[in-house]
Amino acid sequence: MLADLIQNTLDGLSIGAAYALLALGFTLIFGVLRRANLSYGAAIMFGCYCATWTHLNFGAGLLLLAAITVAGTVLAGAYVERLCFAPHRGGSMIAAMVASFALWMQFEELVTLVMPTHLYAFPALYEGAPLAFGPYTLRVDALVMFGAAIAACALLWGTLYRTRFGLAVRAVTEQPAAASLAGINLPWVYVRVFALASAIGGVAGYLVVASHGQITPMLGMWSTLKGLLAMMLGGLGSLPGAVVGGLALGLLEAHSQWFLGPQLRDLIAYLLLFVLLAARVPWMHTRSAS
Amino acid sequence: MDAYTIGVLTNIGLFSFVALSAYLLLVAGELSFGQQAFFGVGAYAGGIFTAMYGWPLPLAALAAMTLGALAQFLVGLPTLRLRGLYFAMSTLAAAEMARILFELLHFQREVKGELTGPDGTQGFRGIRWIFEHGIEPIDYLGMVVGLLAVVLAGFFLVERSRLGATLRGVGQDPELAASLGIDIQRVKLGVAAAAGALAALGGVLYAHHNTYIEPRNFDIMLGVHSLAYALIGGLGTAFGPLLGVVLDIGALEGSRVFHDYRMIVFGGLVALLLVFRPRGLLDERMVRWLRARLP
Amino acid sequence: MSLLKIQDVVTAYGKIEALKGVSLEVAPGSITCLLGPNGAGKTTLMMTVAGILKPRKGGISFAGEEIAGRAPHDIVARGVALVPENRLVFPAMTVLENLLAGAYQRGDKKAVAEDIDRMYARFPRLRERSAQHAGTLSGGEQQMLAVARALMSRPRLLLMDEPSLGLAPLVVEEIFRIIAELHRDGVSIFFVEQNAHMALKVAQHFFLIEQGRISFSGTPGALAEDEVIRRAYLGSAQQ
Repeated sequence: MLADLIQNTLDGLSIGAAYALLALGFTLIFGVLRRANLSYGAAIMFGCYCATWTHLNFGAGLLLLAAITVAGTVLAGAYVERLCFAPHRGGSMIAAMVASFALWMQFEELVTLVMPTHLYAFPALYEGAPLAFGPYTLRVDALVMFGAAIAACALLWGTLYRTRFGLAVRAVTEQPAAASLAGINLPWVYVRVFALASAIGGVAGYLVVASHGQITPMLGMWSTLKGLLAMMLGGLGSLPGAVVGGLALGLLEAHSQWFLGPQLRDLIAYLLLFVLLAARVPWMHTRSAS
Repeated sequence: MDAYTIGVLTNIGLFSFVALSAYLLLVAGELSFGQQAFFGVGAYAGGIFTAMYGWPLPLAALAAMTLGALAQFLVGLPTLRLRGLYFAMSTLAAAEMARILFELLHFQREVKGELTGPDGTQGFRGIRWIFEHGIEPIDYLGMVVGLLAVVLAGFFLVERSRLGATLRGVGQDPELAASLGIDIQRVKLGVAAAAGALAALGGVLYAHHNTYIEPRNFDIMLGVHSLAYALIGGLGTAFGPLLGVVLDIGALEGSRVFHDYRMIVFGGLVALLLVFRPRGLLDERMVRWLRARLP
Repeated sequence: MSLLKIQDVVTAYGKIEALKGVSLEVAPGSITCLLGPNGAGKTTLMMTVAGILKPRKGGISFAGEEIAGRAPHDIVARGVALVPENRLVFPAMTVLENLLAGAYQRGDKKAVAEDIDRMYARFPRLRERSAQHAGTLSGGEQQMLAVARALMSRPRLLLMDEPSLGLAPLVVEEIFRIIAELHRDGVSIFFVEQNAHMALKVAQHFFLIEQGRISFSGTPGALAEDEVIRRAYLGSAQQ
């Protein structure tokens, strides 16, 4: 029993780290633009399919595939930013969100046209036996995922709190009008934040796909829903909240899957979100999202 | 008309109901990602009443609409005070919960020697009321169009009444509306119930058109499609959502050239259109302009 | 030649024109005050000069260069900084980070560090609170921070939108002392004020804006002699 709990906790933290990355990407974009990017997951899926396609046609090493995933995601993100967010700055939130959803459909159809099989194998991060510590096993790929996610968080942290660009991002997030009065070029920040968030999403997508060893077009919806869920659970617009929300979602899922099965696992995550929203818990209302 | 055209037109009619329900909420200032849930409630409830208990379709439809209204009212009760993205996320959470509950729903009984009813992810087969009662596809299309006409007439009556002005007021400037003594929560709950009933009506008709439904028919894709229909068609008139549905299902699915690229073409069109018309083709200004010129 | 020249500027929110053709000039090295009732367009004018709002018509030139319609960061780069109404400090950033954000466009790290020292010397409270989040400061301290942040861009013209709003009388006096000091250091100042009594002590030129139009332009002496203005803006305190 205790062994199961500990094992589930380890598993939950490892997938939670990927959720945290997804939530961070969402939060960065939401923080500066005050808009949710619904095609965030679809762009990640597009990046992962770019890597899968390269792997199938030319073969490539893990690091190169990771780089292609990130590059593909950033490219897709740039397309989304230009078409859905740049035109609606200071304008309609709904229009930007619906437009980003429309591009989600495009990405999904594009990848299924080029790669029509439902499921493709993706080179796994590690194919040896899991590490055993007494009764517990630790999958090496899960460990790599956790480590890489933590490293990405740390890198992001450094960027936001130790660089001039990070200062600008935080200023725009807190007080856009004052940031522009301080001489910060807002469109310049928006475009770069979008690229940064896409790169983080690409890393998350690569880790998830490589740890599962396979990819389907469902990755798009999956990433969007998990990222949104983790972002909302941690408090909309808060970066530390995104990390906490991601890890909490991972733990919640791992434990509820063990005790109740996969369907109830998802049900419980949504139920929790619904209840927390309805109860208007204070940490979820740190930023105006109206 | 050939069977294919009838099928496409019927689908346009069906999805117009759920698009109208998203439109109604948008007019009242609420963004819902979850109308597919109430469409699903209608589909399942309607199917259960006709296929499992032998109710006539009109009665089943009324009951399903009542359930849809009740469901969205109850979901709205704790969440309609939330703003913007918070409300949108609460509708998404509710709708995903509904979809999972459909997956968990195993409720079957024997009817005429055959086991029928929802069977979890295996779906719900044999919702054959219209075939058993000898209704031809063209007649069913007539029913769908007739109901849609009634609903649209209702929308236009409301638009021209004080209630319509109240709804737009609540949607566009809630502070002002509240200062005029309008009980915003009550108006929004009423809108939610009406939207739930509309979506459920679409669901009942959908279930009986397809004869088979399964939980993934009611995933988030349907919800956001409805929202997209409502927005691109335009927020100025109830014809807007219809135009949105026609554009997607009609023009693109109907014309076989684009069939394989439907999502790519439609998605790009939506994004581009919104750049130039962020409140849709038939937005409030366009509607005023047309009204001034049409008799 | 004037430092700032505003000509027939019209700024609108949707269909409502908040500025209906405003023209005025600010001389280099001066302290100029803009008076006016609530809703007359004072803040709109400041935001338009700073580039947050785009004028629908008219021209704004700063030191001979046209700046109307340019982006705010571009206008800051040319030497105009605005201390906005309600200060708008970055609440979850430290005092030091707020100052660094104000110097965002400057690449000269050493000079920036010197300027921060200078700000701390001018506003000792800010030095004490350097590592504190700006949101935890008092209203007066936030106003000091907002002024210091604006000065970090080394502006030639400092715009201030109601710097005394909501502050205690002692703090207001402090703010006006700082305005006079900045002026002695060579910064031109153009500020909006409701508190005409305080403004009379420092400003060399006054404009009055009413319903989106300039209705008076003159020296403090002329302002004090105008019976109507005296009643509206100075009256209550003299009774």
